[in-house]
Amino acid sequence: MRRLTTFPRLTEAEFKTACTAFHNRFLQHQDSQQEWTSVDPLQSFNTRYLRITRPLQPNARDTPKSDDAEQESEVEESEDEEALPYTPAPAPEALINYDIILSPTYCVPTLYIHILDPLHRFPPTLDTLYQHLVPSPYASQTRDVGVLGGITITDHPISNKPVFFIHPCRTAEVMEASASGRDLEPEAYLMLWIGAMGKCVGLDVPPALALASSKTENKRWGETRMILVVN
Amino acid sequence: MSAARDVTSRLRQTVWNGSVPLEIRLHKGDCRTYDTSDPYLIQFPRLSYLGLLIHKLHGFFESSLIFPEVSPADAWLEYEGVPLRWHYPLGLLYDLYSGAEPAYPEDASGKQEQQTGNDEPKPLPWRLTVHFSDYPMDQLVKLDTEGKHLHDLYIHSVKEADYLRTGTGKTVMFLSKEDSTQLWESVKQHNFSLFNSINQKLLNPQGANLRHLPVRLYLPHAASPDATPAVKAEQISNPRDADTADKPKKEEKGIPPGSLRVVQSLITPSLTSRQPQTIGTALNQIIPTLFPSRRSPLLAQAVLHGAVLPLGANVEELIRATSYLDGWLHIAVVMMA
Repeated sequence: MRRLTTFPRLTEAEFKTACTAFHNRFLQHQDSQQEWTSVDPLQSFNTRYLRITRPLQPNARDTPKSDDAEQESEVEESEDEEALPYTPAPAPEALINYDIILSPTYCVPTLYIHILDPLHRFPPTLDTLYQHLVPSPYASQTRDVGVLGGITITDHPISNKPVFFIHPCRTAEVMEASASGRDLEPEAYLMLWIGAMGKCVGLDVPPALALASSKTENKRWGETRMILVVN
Repeated sequence: MSAARDVTSRLRQTVWNGSVPLEIRLHKGDCRTYDTSDPYLIQFPRLSYLGLLIHKLHGFFESSLIFPEVSPADAWLEYEGVPLRWHYPLGLLYDLYSGAEPAYPEDASGKQEQQTGNDEPKPLPWRLTVHFSDYPMDQLVKLDTEGKHLHDLYIHSVKEADYLRTGTGKTVMFLSKEDSTQLWESVKQHNFSLFNSINQKLLNPQGANLRHLPVRLYLPHAASPDATPAVKAEQISNPRDADTADKPKKEEKGIPPGSLRVVQSLITPSLTSRQPQTIGTALNQIIPTLFPSRRSPLLAQAVLHGAVLPLGANVEELIRATSYLDGWLHIAVVMMA
């Protein structure tokens, strides 16, 4: 196996390889997990990046969709007898987009997070961050760092709109510590990175993906250590 | 050598003193009187941040506001429909959006290299509108009354510039608490002597040459709409082919006015052949479609502090003399007519 050439950093080619492999892993195993809605490789001009999407309310997908529809149509019938039977009003579902973009400065993946909501209930503010994104066990350690905390708001490098982000200036150190000397393939690096950076914003590799062995990688990922990254 | 240093420090001082007169009016939707209120007038440093003005603006317009109890942090500024980003220095905003013709360098014969055309320069002051309602949350980072968001955006930018220069970011991380406080104070007060002592530490990391140069390019009207799913990697066999997608697109539906594409890349102080990095070589490397030549501008020009940069200018010298307060060269890329 070829070791990453600039570890603990990642080259553009390695990042691309990692995104492709991880996307394929998702395509293979997406039916055995409920947590994520999609994993999409995206490109804007010459920047390639990966977008992971999940519902803001993690339980929303636990209930089978058919049940939802039945319940809603029942409700509608009772409220409005003239309503058409098969047009349940879809409850507007907010989605979280986690965009993983290679930082041109730090040469490590960087996490940008925004909430897509048709009702605009979750603007990019610190209130939204701590009420809806950061799991409460991580709130205090995230909040008490730097000027505003370890997670702040900046312009998304592609859309140029304000989003949450975890500043990548310490990521290389964290990856060095997390790998603890293991030889990593690009995809393994990416999964280790998600394990280290994602927990504090509710991004975890679903067990079905983490434990599935891919063609190139047979390591167990259950042991991925969580390290909260602060700057 | 000392003459060169002299030029650098004089240029540093000139850039520091650069300013734009602003005339800021209250948006009529926020104004309690039928006639517009008096404008707020200020000569504002090009290097500084408009976000530092929110308390003064709130205080000045308070008596004219329909809802005087709004927070100063509800303020946002706009020019011709474009919300102005708080963390872009005024000079960059002006170079990007004002429509003012930049100054051109003179060639050896003393003539202007480029005719500026018949366009009348836009009259100063630059006329902006301040709003205290309908904050464009999806376009602008919302500030707070204590200036923490502005400080946070600034310090991240300083750190990133430092990481590029040193390869470690250690200079900023190891600034003393006093030095970090002084740096932000110097920005808030626009105080050169406070700023310069810290800036010299940042520009001259101990025992190290600069690794990379913090340069960021802003391409108006070229911002893409929402990213499209990646083209199958196989279809782009030659990465150069992808460059054809680099040409600015016609304005498309759904792109808000003032959209930008922000571009940066690793820029070394010199090319491998011991040749210093120039603006021309850097632009040719980063956006070859807009700068196909390293020597002469054919399609676009680079504007910094209201002036068109000569493509032969040495990038490291520019960083030392003309960078913004966060250590970056924020360069507006302007298409030639």
